[in-house]
Amino acid sequence: MSKSSLYPDSRFADPAEGGAKRSPQLHIGNWLGVLPFFVFSGLFLIAPTLILAYRSFEGLNGGQTLDNYRLLTSPAVINSYGMSIRISLTTAILGGLFGFLIAWAVSLGGLPRPFRTTSTTFSGVASNFAGVPLAAAFVFTLGRVGVVTALFEVFGVNLYKSGFSLYSFTGLTLVYLFFQIPLMVLVMLPALDGLKRDWLEAAENLGATPGQYWRHVALPVLMPSILGTMILLFGNSFGAHATAYALTGGLFPLATLLIGQQISGDVLHNPGLGYAVAMGMVIIMAFSILIYSILQRRSERWLG
Amino acid sequence: MSGGFLSLEGVRKEFGGFVAVDRFNLEVAQGEFVSFLGPSGCGKTTTLRIVAGFEQPTSGAIRLAGKDVTSTKPNERNIGMVFQSYALFPNMTVGRNVGFGLKVRRTPKDEIEARVHEMLDLIQMRHLEKRYPYQLSGGQQQRVALARALAIHPQVLLLDEPLSALDAKIRVQLRAEIRAIQRKLGITAIYVTHDQEEALSISDRIVVMYEGRIEQVGSPFEIYNFPTTAFVASFVGTLNTTAAEVVDQATHLLQIDGVQLQAAEGLDDRQKGDKVTIAIRPERLNFVSQERKANILDCTVENITFLGSVVRVQVSVGSNRFYMDTFNNPFLELPKIGDKDQVTCSREAVLVLRQ
Amino acid sequence: MTISTGPPITAKTPAAEAPPKGNRLWAWLIFLMGALYFMLPLAATFYWSLRAEKGRFGFEAYRRLFADANFMPAFSESIVNAIAAIFLSLLIIVPTAYWVRLRMPRLRPVVEFITLLPFVIPAVVLVFGIIRLYSRPPLLLTATYDSSRVLLVCVYAALSFPYMFRSVDNGLRAIDVRALTEAAQSLGANWITILREVIFPNLRVATLSGALLTFAIVLGELTIALYMAQKTLGPYMANLTRSKVYEPSAMAIVAFAITWVAMGMIAYISRERKQP
Repeated sequence: MSKSSLYPDSRFADPAEGGAKRSPQLHIGNWLGVLPFFVFSGLFLIAPTLILAYRSFEGLNGGQTLDNYRLLTSPAVINSYGMSIRISLTTAILGGLFGFLIAWAVSLGGLPRPFRTTSTTFSGVASNFAGVPLAAAFVFTLGRVGVVTALFEVFGVNLYKSGFSLYSFTGLTLVYLFFQIPLMVLVMLPALDGLKRDWLEAAENLGATPGQYWRHVALPVLMPSILGTMILLFGNSFGAHATAYALTGGLFPLATLLIGQQISGDVLHNPGLGYAVAMGMVIIMAFSILIYSILQRRSERWLG
Repeated sequence: MSGGFLSLEGVRKEFGGFVAVDRFNLEVAQGEFVSFLGPSGCGKTTTLRIVAGFEQPTSGAIRLAGKDVTSTKPNERNIGMVFQSYALFPNMTVGRNVGFGLKVRRTPKDEIEARVHEMLDLIQMRHLEKRYPYQLSGGQQQRVALARALAIHPQVLLLDEPLSALDAKIRVQLRAEIRAIQRKLGITAIYVTHDQEEALSISDRIVVMYEGRIEQVGSPFEIYNFPTTAFVASFVGTLNTTAAEVVDQATHLLQIDGVQLQAAEGLDDRQKGDKVTIAIRPERLNFVSQERKANILDCTVENITFLGSVVRVQVSVGSNRFYMDTFNNPFLELPKIGDKDQVTCSREAVLVLRQ
Repeated sequence: MTISTGPPITAKTPAAEAPPKGNRLWAWLIFLMGALYFMLPLAATFYWSLRAEKGRFGFEAYRRLFADANFMPAFSESIVNAIAAIFLSLLIIVPTAYWVRLRMPRLRPVVEFITLLPFVIPAVVLVFGIIRLYSRPPLLLTATYDSSRVLLVCVYAALSFPYMFRSVDNGLRAIDVRALTEAAQSLGANWITILREVIFPNLRVATLSGALLTFAIVLGELTIALYMAQKTLGPYMANLTRSKVYEPSAMAIVAFAITWVAMGMIAYISRERKQP
């Protein structure tokens, strides 16, 4: 007995019964409820992206062309994209690894409960700390006159003379990890919770050592989540702008910084190319989110 | 030295200040099917987990085939366990799940395969070997869990409320299957449940537990018909209980609300005037019109419930309320609500309970 | 204790034994290394912020920061933006989430996808598109500072969709919206009444969580505000790093403290929930 039979002329018939049975008037009424959302998203999320997409096909002399996308292989673009990819891959892998280890330590590692709550709150803070404050904090730590730099000098090591610079690939990676690792921690904690204790006990009961349990059961079950989140980390790093801008003043080969420069002025000497660069970024991000969603679904199936 | 294949000696488990299990002594013979029966929190699962090795007893010992295994690690005891939540490894197929224990023991591949097929045939799921747990129903998952536990040739099989998560019909079917497999393989089994019908139907012996202690150990027949404590009597089956006063100890005469009642035994250590608790099973009461027995009590019919194969009549006897069960019969003539009638039962039906 | 950003931790039976000693050692090691990495920059910054006066520890840098003529205007402008964005977002998301859950569940994947767009479109690309789209008639919205500001708030609201929607959606799931709605209807309430008296009050925790997250994000946002020439906290802070030496450290600590308070509040209000 469906709920709608209790209220025969109720406007709230069970949607599972199918939209075809509803009167046309109801149908339009339903759409009205979600209209504001679609209009708003259309205006401020979809339309701006579409206009970039549209303009990216514009040639220098008007007309439609794919030239802009072909020009994506020019040195300026390749340099920036390449650096973005390098940093994103590195921070995704390192952030994934350390984030996983910290998540493990705080949930299954036997540390006192308050450690976990503090870590979760802190991870929320740290992953939102990105941008100017983070860049500033690292300048004060590892900049040319930073505290740690000075500390090294006390021990006779001159960081900057040895080739280290905060405003380099290494430096940016170090800074990015500050919000990458917490993001990994935040996603992995629920995933690790999903590891049923029964599995460990069942495995032990069948004769497995904890090591064998991790190798044959826990890690395989966690793998979609781990991989998926690392891809999320990749996208997160790839699209990051504020931190890099604050740190380098926008003068560093990075895809997002390149786009920023393009907004302020046509540094690529071809507006269409600027749009193509932006769209290229969207395509890469979309791809990474897609893979992440697929892997998330798989992991949800196993971890509940 | 113990006489049983598996023996628990003086097992006691404390969690902080809370005593979960106390003075647990049990000898289980080889091939025996023993149930731990009791309400939630009575300590039955804790005791089972101690046998499995997932908890360490605060004091006491576990002996298996003569060997003391109290401090042996759970992955070295060779005891198979079936969990309430099935605990199948989601990343492995049915076949690989069942073979996991053998793989961990580095058994050769072809032996694993043979044994897996043997186990799958036992539970009649050979055709589902390549399926993943999420593709199976609850009942199927539990069968796989059983096969997985049996694949390693365990000395003892432990089952922790394996059927609680399943539908009623599947539960009945599966418990019979479990019992049949256990008999066929002759394996010693301990089965934890809170469902007394389940325990009664498949066990060789039942251990009734309450608040961490053993209340009674016996065959299903004994537990049901000769409960020794008020808790066992009330937990297993339906029971009518009431307070009574001893009138004459020698002739086992009692009185409830001024009405006299004759028991057959159980008053040996009582005196005139003592207050005791007596119990009568509903199916041992009937109306005087059906058969006249030793004890006759006046009553008023309060309610009649049709339960399918059984008809349950609720009557008031003085200030007490009793239930009376008779088998359903289409030609049964039942009194109406409000009728005054008489119920009767034999002397042996009156059980005197130890407090 | 539950944490806001993730699903609630389900209660488990008391842990039989703690993990083996070896594991615990590694856990401590890992945690300490992590703590070191995260604490160092904060400690260094805090140290700097106390050294504004030559030779002594003091809060001079903070004093200068708050006394700066540009600080308070930028700060209050950001706060107003944040609050406006939160309200706008709530106004759109709560009814939408409610509607989708109750009336149009088939639309759910579409709506979820759209709320995930801010993750697919990086801020710098979005502002690029926003400027190009709204700097020409007929959609000329970037002509004046104030109209740009409205545009900015709208963009911030859109950027908060992922967090708001997920928060509100989880909240709706937890209170069995369908049953509450049907009960209210059988008692004669109309849509607006239901939303106002039944739905919104029961979503207090969820909406607060989403709001606090949005607040933290909007407050320090740089990329979009920068390219839209807005005088909010983000561009102010960026400017500060280029022009002053000690104030940026004080500002970083203040930013961190504010974010910590916001996150702490989320954790707190989520914790307070008593499960029936």
